[in-house]
Amino acid sequence: MSAGRPARWTRNQKLAAGAVALGLGALLIGDPGDGGRVTLDARELAALVEGEVDHVTPDELADWIVAGRQDFRLVDLRAEADYAAYHVPGAERIPITGLEDAELARNEKIVLYSQEGIHSAQAWFLLKARRYPAVYILLGGLAQWQEQVLYPVRPEAGAGAEERAAFERAAARAASFGGAARAAAAGLAPAVPALVPPPITAPGVAPTAPPPAGSPVKKKKKEGC
Amino acid sequence: MNAPLFKFGLFGDEFSLVVAFLIGIGFGFFLERAGFGSARKLTDQFYLKDMAVFRVMFTAIVTAMLGLFYLGWLGWVDLSLVYVSPTFLWPQVAGGLLLGVGFVVGGYCPGTSLVALATGKLDALAFVAGIFAGIFAIGEAWPAISGFAESSALGRLTLPEVLHLPAGLVVLLVVLMAVGGFWGAAALERRFAGRGAGEGS
Amino acid sequence: MSSLSQPARRGPAPYTNPYLAGIGLGLVLLASFVVMGRGLGASGAFSSACAVAVDALAPAHAQANPFWKEYLESGVGHPLKEWLVFEVLGVLAGGFLSGLLAGRVRRTVEKGPRISTGGRFAFAFVGGALMGIGAKLGRGCTSGQALTGGALLSAGGWAFMLMVFAGGYGAAWFLRRQWQ
Repeated sequence: MSAGRPARWTRNQKLAAGAVALGLGALLIGDPGDGGRVTLDARELAALVEGEVDHVTPDELADWIVAGRQDFRLVDLRAEADYAAYHVPGAERIPITGLEDAELARNEKIVLYSQEGIHSAQAWFLLKARRYPAVYILLGGLAQWQEQVLYPVRPEAGAGAEERAAFERAAARAASFGGAARAAAAGLAPAVPALVPPPITAPGVAPTAPPPAGSPVKKKKKEGC
Repeated sequence: MNAPLFKFGLFGDEFSLVVAFLIGIGFGFFLERAGFGSARKLTDQFYLKDMAVFRVMFTAIVTAMLGLFYLGWLGWVDLSLVYVSPTFLWPQVAGGLLLGVGFVVGGYCPGTSLVALATGKLDALAFVAGIFAGIFAIGEAWPAISGFAESSALGRLTLPEVLHLPAGLVVLLVVLMAVGGFWGAAALERRFAGRGAGEGS
Repeated sequence: MSSLSQPARRGPAPYTNPYLAGIGLGLVLLASFVVMGRGLGASGAFSSACAVAVDALAPAHAQANPFWKEYLESGVGHPLKEWLVFEVLGVLAGGFLSGLLAGRVRRTVEKGPRISTGGRFAFAFVGGALMGIGAKLGRGCTSGQALTGGALLSAGGWAFMLMVFAGGYGAAWFLRRQWQ
């Protein structure tokens, strides 16, 4: 290779000098940052919040599960005991402090829920700051899931045909999730925690054995040799 | 820019295979350009006659390392999303030794054997058959040896973490090591290039 | 460079300056990091193909072995629709393309002057087998561990790379009759 021509040597030496210069620059920089550094576009985030585009209603989520959609990860942010007592079928429990290490992929749709929605909103912000593009919040949290999906309220006697039809669908869906319709009287003051948590069932999900880590989870892709 | 592009969902699994093919073309192209389709060129490295393997490899390492460092610093690439193969120290030490011996015995490594095959080297065909035999053997033996093969698992571990040094300093040290090595390689070649019977040079 | 003196006027083109080839290779590796978030590899594709072959011959046996099972479960719908398999197909294409442009595609056997063709094939096969075993123990080969791991400053990658050179130089003296 070393033909000895001075021109070639000059080029190689230039390349070496360039590499050393860039190396010295790296020394000055020290730490390039590993993604733990958070950069935010506050206006963009505010617009997202205002537009409420990152919300999923309990009805929508229930329909996704009924339809067997696998293109999202459902994350339960509540405590271990609450998760064990009841969780939305297919949900995996990730505590808010564990989001960093949970290996949530940026190319996945992530649906967060907590009991009411405050924790999921905070987790939403954390993930957005880490540049997760598709993070959604279950509107109203598990409380609203129970009210709307598990225990839909039977309409008053004088309700229209359309409302009745919608209720019939909701009741059928509630049954498939292990819930039941309830009378309007209970709906006036629905002490949600008092509602008995149903067995964790969903159409397509085995009623006896809830999936341990959530069924819609894509298996971890192999990246090494 | 949000990179790695794939991990931010810019394209899906199917298209990633197209990307794989294109990147592979670039990989194979430059391996062949460097002369790594030739077992004699490759093994000359171990007889100190032609240090092209060292030169090409360390130039590539320095280029990619510097590029990634600066792209990470600019915030264009989320470095935590770049897959770093987990360290299994002792199995990797043993594997590296075996691979090094296999390199001199067989004349290629897996990647370069494919380039040699593509340019018509028949011995590369025997080498590729050997790779399959070796993988078959270790695959079948895996349940028996997994105790060792999965030992000393240290997870995603990098040199700055091991050495407790800033990443930038390690980067500079690697650059200096490479440049110093290139300088030394030329001296070694001058000394050993003429050696070896049968070369007729 | 030990260029075998080519009597023909239009012999194969000389190899590229190793530093320029290295920069090219480094940029390809960098592109892989930026686009995919992963580096290059080669041995993984061999494993996928091997796993599929074992599965075709003895499915129950393959499924019972965690090593084969891992490869059989990866890929986009099929274990051969795997990233590294397609990358390796690209390596074949890219190597052929470069060789064609440089006039280096020629059916030949690369060997030292003092070894028979049959002997060379035997050594190549044995060397390949050692590589296969070493690459699986080391979780990658020169591409996946030494090159990619080296650029990522992976501790295991650097340990692996140093041992590859140690193994190579350690074995070189014993095998000098094959090459020199």
